[in-house]
Amino acid sequence: MDFNGLSIDQAPPISAPLRFFIMAPIFGILVGFLLLFSDSATLMNRYSIDAIVVVHLITIGIFGFIMLGALTQMLSVLAGVNIPKIETVATFSHAALLLGLFSMVFGLEMSNTLLLRLASLFLGSGFLVIIGSMLYAIKGVQHFTASIKGMSVALIFAFMIVLMGVYLLYGYSENDITGLHYIVANIHSVWAVFGFAGILIIGVAFQVLPMFYVAPRFKQFCKKRVVLLISTGLFIWMVLSIFAQEHTLYAKLWVTTFFWAFATTVWIKFNKRKRPVSDVTVWYWRAASIFLTLGSFLWIYDEFFKHEYIVMVGILIGGGFVLSIMLGMLYKIVPFLVWFHLNALGYMTIPTINEMINKKFSRLQFLLLMLSLVGFIFSFYMSEFLIPSSLFFIVSMAILEYNILAPVWIYHTTRKKKPDFDMSAFSMT
Amino acid sequence: MSSIKEYLTNDHRRCDDVFAKMEERAHNSLLDAKELTQEFIANMERHFQMEERVMFLEFETKTDMTMGPTEMMRQEHSQMRNLMSQLLEAIENDDKDKFFGLSETLMILLQQHNMKEEQMLYAMAQQHLSAESDRIVEMMDSLVVE
Repeated sequence: MDFNGLSIDQAPPISAPLRFFIMAPIFGILVGFLLLFSDSATLMNRYSIDAIVVVHLITIGIFGFIMLGALTQMLSVLAGVNIPKIETVATFSHAALLLGLFSMVFGLEMSNTLLLRLASLFLGSGFLVIIGSMLYAIKGVQHFTASIKGMSVALIFAFMIVLMGVYLLYGYSENDITGLHYIVANIHSVWAVFGFAGILIIGVAFQVLPMFYVAPRFKQFCKKRVVLLISTGLFIWMVLSIFAQEHTLYAKLWVTTFFWAFATTVWIKFNKRKRPVSDVTVWYWRAASIFLTLGSFLWIYDEFFKHEYIVMVGILIGGGFVLSIMLGMLYKIVPFLVWFHLNALGYMTIPTINEMINKKFSRLQFLLLMLSLVGFIFSFYMSEFLIPSSLFFIVSMAILEYNILAPVWIYHTTRKKKPDFDMSAFSMT
Repeated sequence: MSSIKEYLTNDHRRCDDVFAKMEERAHNSLLDAKELTQEFIANMERHFQMEERVMFLEFETKTDMTMGPTEMMRQEHSQMRNLMSQLLEAIENDDKDKFFGLSETLMILLQQHNMKEEQMLYAMAQQHLSAESDRIVEMMDSLVVE
């Protein structure tokens, strides 16, 4: 039995998740500015360079950074294992992903072969090192709960979408865009959203909803079968998209049924929760349920309209579902990490986690994000909505950055003071 | 007779339920929530003592791990005891913001602590102490809180 993670001594250093979290809103601001100066017609073509750049700044820069940062911490709490050499792995992957993402953005926009090759190298190594380390750590788990199974499957999907991403970037760097490129691009994007982000969220929800909100537990069928059924659906969908494109609708129906059921279940569980608190994290979970439901239905509807609505599906599921959950989690994780690390170091007079983030600011941030998402959807029909929506998004991300930095600032200023108690006696090292 | 793992896990859920009721009551009036807060603290204290005075001691004797995971769990118990005493202070001062700030902090600390116990420590205890499981559960059940 591995007891790593049971103590603060072996818990991942606070810098491992924070370095990822702090960068995410900065990418959000960057995305907002790119959208502000973009042409909505170009963005509506999912394979346009501008669209690919914006999508990857969101998926890698925001989602990827938040999910990887959260996983460095969650593995120790949910699975009881620590990533080997976590500090080195997090520092390397963080730097490699940053370099890789910027190389990709400039490489694509400037059609620069060298930058695109560097992007493949940095993004590939940055992702594979941290994902590989996480999977290696999970190997040591002795009691596989539904959450850990979900995380493992999500990481396996992540591993595969990274390999596909490297292949796709190679295609751009060699200017070798074949029919296969579009098939792989489609699988890469669908597996990233449903296989990695979707399954990870479902896996974490099994544990988090009953715990933090004292909501009813998920049924054994959900915990034991849903991840397997979705993965099978995604695999079948992949096979059909390669060999029998005309039948992909059946696999899509299979996958979306489970995601729609998940969205509904989350909504019902929040209705039945015993803990009455209704903070911004609850709003985010609820918003995510609504966006996921709409996005799932539109993904099916889109099948009958030559994929005209696929970008809107992306906004609903990527922005409305995945981003909402990520931010809902961040508002719990960041202040708690700061409180927990300071308290374990012997500081007793520290603000509570509700005092670290200004409630009004977090509500405003939520509101602006929701307005921007709805505006982005409308800009599908009325391009004049793009500018105000982009501005809302920029301000929302700037407030998010402030809300993350405020507790981090408290951590740094408190560390400069002498602890109330000397905790070295508890050290196991 | 339930196993050590089942017995202590069920007790976690009982404490969660009282916690949720306490918060619900506190929403209306902090003073009205005083009794439930005391009940929650008493339940938690009983749970901590069942672990610290019975299960942890048995585990440590059996495994010789006196400065291992059980010590870390004791450390987190002390963090929670500190937060719980501040909850009562917040009620005395009728400070709702402070109360809910503390309850939120306590909730997350408590849940991640429970998760570590349920997924690791209890499983380990059950494995090492399975032969004495009934006796240990009985001792915990009949514990008189000090």
